[in-house]
Amino acid sequence: MSELYQALAQGLLIGSTYGLLALGMGLVYGVSGVVNFSHGDFISLGMFMCLALYSALSLDPYVSVIITVPVMTAIGALVYLFLIRPMVGHQFLMVVQLTLGLSLVLQNGILMVFGGQPARTPSVVESKLLLLGDVVLRVPHLIAFAVSFVLAGGLYVMLRSTDFGRSIRAVHQNAHAAALMGIDVGRVQVMTFALGIGILALAAALLLPGTPIQPTQGLRYTVITLLVVVLGGMTNFVGIMLGGLVIGIAEAFGTIYLDGPLGLLMPYIIFVLIMLFRPQGLTWSSSR
Amino acid sequence: MLEIESLTAGYGGVPVLRDINVKLGAGEIVGLLGANNAGKTTLINSLSGTVRPISGRILFQGEDITPMSPRRRVERGIVQVPEGRLVFPEMSIRENLLLGGINSRARPNRRRQMDKVLELFPRLGERLSQNAGSLSGGEQQMLAIGRGLMAEARVLMLDEPSLGLSPLFVQYIFEIIDRLHAEGLTILLVEQNLNLTLRHAQRCYVLERGQVAVEGVADAVRNDPRTKSAYLGL
Repeated sequence: MSELYQALAQGLLIGSTYGLLALGMGLVYGVSGVVNFSHGDFISLGMFMCLALYSALSLDPYVSVIITVPVMTAIGALVYLFLIRPMVGHQFLMVVQLTLGLSLVLQNGILMVFGGQPARTPSVVESKLLLLGDVVLRVPHLIAFAVSFVLAGGLYVMLRSTDFGRSIRAVHQNAHAAALMGIDVGRVQVMTFALGIGILALAAALLLPGTPIQPTQGLRYTVITLLVVVLGGMTNFVGIMLGGLVIGIAEAFGTIYLDGPLGLLMPYIIFVLIMLFRPQGLTWSSSR
Repeated sequence: MLEIESLTAGYGGVPVLRDINVKLGAGEIVGLLGANNAGKTTLINSLSGTVRPISGRILFQGEDITPMSPRRRVERGIVQVPEGRLVFPEMSIRENLLLGGINSRARPNRRRQMDKVLELFPRLGERLSQNAGSLSGGEQQMLAIGRGLMAEARVLMLDEPSLGLSPLFVQYIFEIIDRLHAEGLTILLVEQNLNLTLRHAQRCYVLERGQVAVEGVADAVRNDPRTKSAYLGL
């Protein structure tokens, strides 16, 4: 029974960060219709930036975010302005091809700078544990859980209560009408893409402690993010966080209860089963 | 107040409007008439800046606004209430109204402006937190006009405000338009409904295949045989 609680707790904690990763993708898709297949490689980039900052300045990943979040946000804005925006409105497959190409560029760029060997970025909390009865919780996972939900809550409030948030939703619902209100649609799209990438920088630091990293891991994060947004609905805030928890729990159950490759397949098996029996996804929204 | 000079505009370099000349005086209500595909919506989208002109220019209070972005035009008070209302369906009435006043000139006065709009449309005030998508067509039209007024419009361009509404709502909406005009607002009324527009507008332009076919005071336009031919394609 304790294994069950362990799997549930571990899944919930890591799943919250998957939800956060997917919120970034959902925001970008909502305002520009772009599904960013280099999403996971930006997470990778954030992680390797933390590694570089640790190597150069001995900065803990949690401290590195002071640098990585603004830098990645700026990179996101530049990528959108010079690569993605010229392609928006063209054929969907061209944008897919572009982001896939960007994924390869990021992967190989990281490979050239850091080499192909798995690396680790130490953190002061990486080996700290919290015992709740028989359940052992890793402190980095607890931090990831708390920060993810606080940030998700903050994003939710921002979208509901600020002019920028309402502009994002307006552009998502009808870009032409938003332009007629005097909203600078192009600016909202750039800022939202940049925000989405900035969120990934934060998520990268949350996932990093105790996790070995390698340049080719981006695809795995992209696929996990896609599973979450398809389950939750591309622009459904609550659904996305719920989707993250489901995938996180499936992954934890697979790791704890099943051996080898079958365990790793668990999130995908659960995803296929949910899609078979509930093709509309986890929530009531049809926006997918 | 607003002057369109020799405007040619269209999509992808293909002109829809050719050599259009239109003037709106301060406080006037001017009708823009024409059959389907005459170019009416392209014309007001050119005024809003969402369609870029191929040639010609647009002057607002003497200033050339042709190269300006839609945002800067809204800041100057050139506001469109689009055809089909285009309210944000998954946002509340309140949020829609707030977005109407999001431009930098109107933003500081949003609370005061919202009170005015709700006084004009008390029905909206009764359901401020209701999603716009759940409103009837007439209520959505009220919201769309209210949203335009939130922008502190100096020129309000109404694209087919009677489209899809019951006769009772059409009457109500046109009473509101008359009231706004009486308060001194400059209005460009884009309509297919000839008689309705001629009853309310002081001057009219009739578009036919992207060109001004007839212009003049309402009575003259009504009696001009070219008006009928522009509508019937004769």
